[in-house]
Amino acid sequence: MKEFLAYAKMALPDLLQGTVVTLELTAGALLIGLAIGLPLSLMRVYGGRLIQPLCTAYLTVFRGTPLLVQLFVVYYGLPEIGVAFSRMTAAFLTLGCNSGAYQCEYFRGAIQAVSTGQMQAARGIGMSRLQGIRHIILPQALRLVIPAWSNEFIAMVKYTAIVFLIAVPDLMSKAKILSSQNFAPIQTYVLVAMIYLVLVGALGLMLHVVQQKLAVPGLDFGMDKR
Amino acid sequence: MPLPVLRIEKLCKSFGNTAVITDVSFDVIPSEVIVVIGSSGTGKSTMLQCINLLLRPTSGRIFLEEKEITAPGVNQDNVRRQMGMVFQEFNLFNHLTVLGNVTIGMVKVSGIPAKQAKEKALQELERVGMAEHCEKYPAQLSGGQKQRVGIARALGMDPKVMLFDEPTSALDPELTGEVLAVMQKLAAEGMTMIIVSHEMGFAREVADRVIFMENGTIEEQGIPDQIFSTPRSERTRKFLSVIRPGKSV
Repeated sequence: MKEFLAYAKMALPDLLQGTVVTLELTAGALLIGLAIGLPLSLMRVYGGRLIQPLCTAYLTVFRGTPLLVQLFVVYYGLPEIGVAFSRMTAAFLTLGCNSGAYQCEYFRGAIQAVSTGQMQAARGIGMSRLQGIRHIILPQALRLVIPAWSNEFIAMVKYTAIVFLIAVPDLMSKAKILSSQNFAPIQTYVLVAMIYLVLVGALGLMLHVVQQKLAVPGLDFGMDKR
Repeated sequence: MPLPVLRIEKLCKSFGNTAVITDVSFDVIPSEVIVVIGSSGTGKSTMLQCINLLLRPTSGRIFLEEKEITAPGVNQDNVRRQMGMVFQEFNLFNHLTVLGNVTIGMVKVSGIPAKQAKEKALQELERVGMAEHCEKYPAQLSGGQKQRVGIARALGMDPKVMLFDEPTSALDPELTGEVLAVMQKLAAEGMTMIIVSHEMGFAREVADRVIFMENGTIEEQGIPDQIFSTPRSERTRKFLSVIRPGKSV
């Protein structure tokens, strides 16, 4: 135990540096994913016959292939046709585009969970479709989506770990280096697991608070009332 | 004869090959209360939704205060704003308080400043007896209360005509009274209303005219006394005898 603590003290500064990168990747990927997923879900629900197949194609590609394959295509494959990204950009783009596909489906589910009568009533008082979406549908859908979206958040913290395979200096990369420098795989990876656990726990708690703050009677899907 | 608020001319609506409404025509004069009765599936609700263009009529013309609203290029959102719609399932906006439900249209559609909208909303809520519940959310209200807020929400837009789509059909019997009372009050205040309803007692008491629909068209119309006491059409007679088995007509 004493040995572990001493090792932890030595390794932590490096690992925390990696943790910052992991958090940056998580936040960036989620934001890119949000910027892609939300409009995509609206197109999927409200879009015409021309737009919907395009959305479906996007979802099929990003949900139907391994994230790692996508990362390698972007980082190693695209430069061959003249599109080269830095490691960090490649990581952000891949994680973001991938997350966009999943977020789209979460948002679509939440939008469709808002009853059709809501849009009818919005139109009934003279709102345009766009106003109905903005003022009536989305405020409800965004509340309903929080539990599913929290899932994506937490998953993303962990998905970012694959970027060590293109040598982005995230938590996992730092761990790999430390572990082989010190021949201490057990100590290193247990420590890394603990850091991920703390991150996920803290973020989960944060999202729960957000959900509670935004809760409205009758729209508190997934809330623990006790 | 005053100019009609609403004129419906040869309205038809089909879904694919199924004709739901065929050749419906009638005028609505200011302050007139029309109750539309008929069996389920005869196109009463579809007709209401066509009138405020929530559904696009297949053919026929509709005029709101002499202006044809079915003409191409007409701003449909603007048309709907001028007609209040009350739904069978209430359709209150779940994420907004009672007050928010009434003000959102005024603020976002009519562009009334928030403070003024609030004052006006409270007046409308007072009209339906719901002002004291203005901070509650829809999930905290009974069905009858929800429907009264639904009516206040429509009133807030200062509609030229109010359309009611079976406003009490989703309510427990003991809650229909409070909603009918509000509607009766509106009628007495001179609101122009078209009401699709199965409440025959209400129709008899409040309606200026009763329209009986069958198979997507108007089978018979007239003042309530005539329709309920001496219906001309065999079908009307049959419908009324099923609805009110005790009374022979």
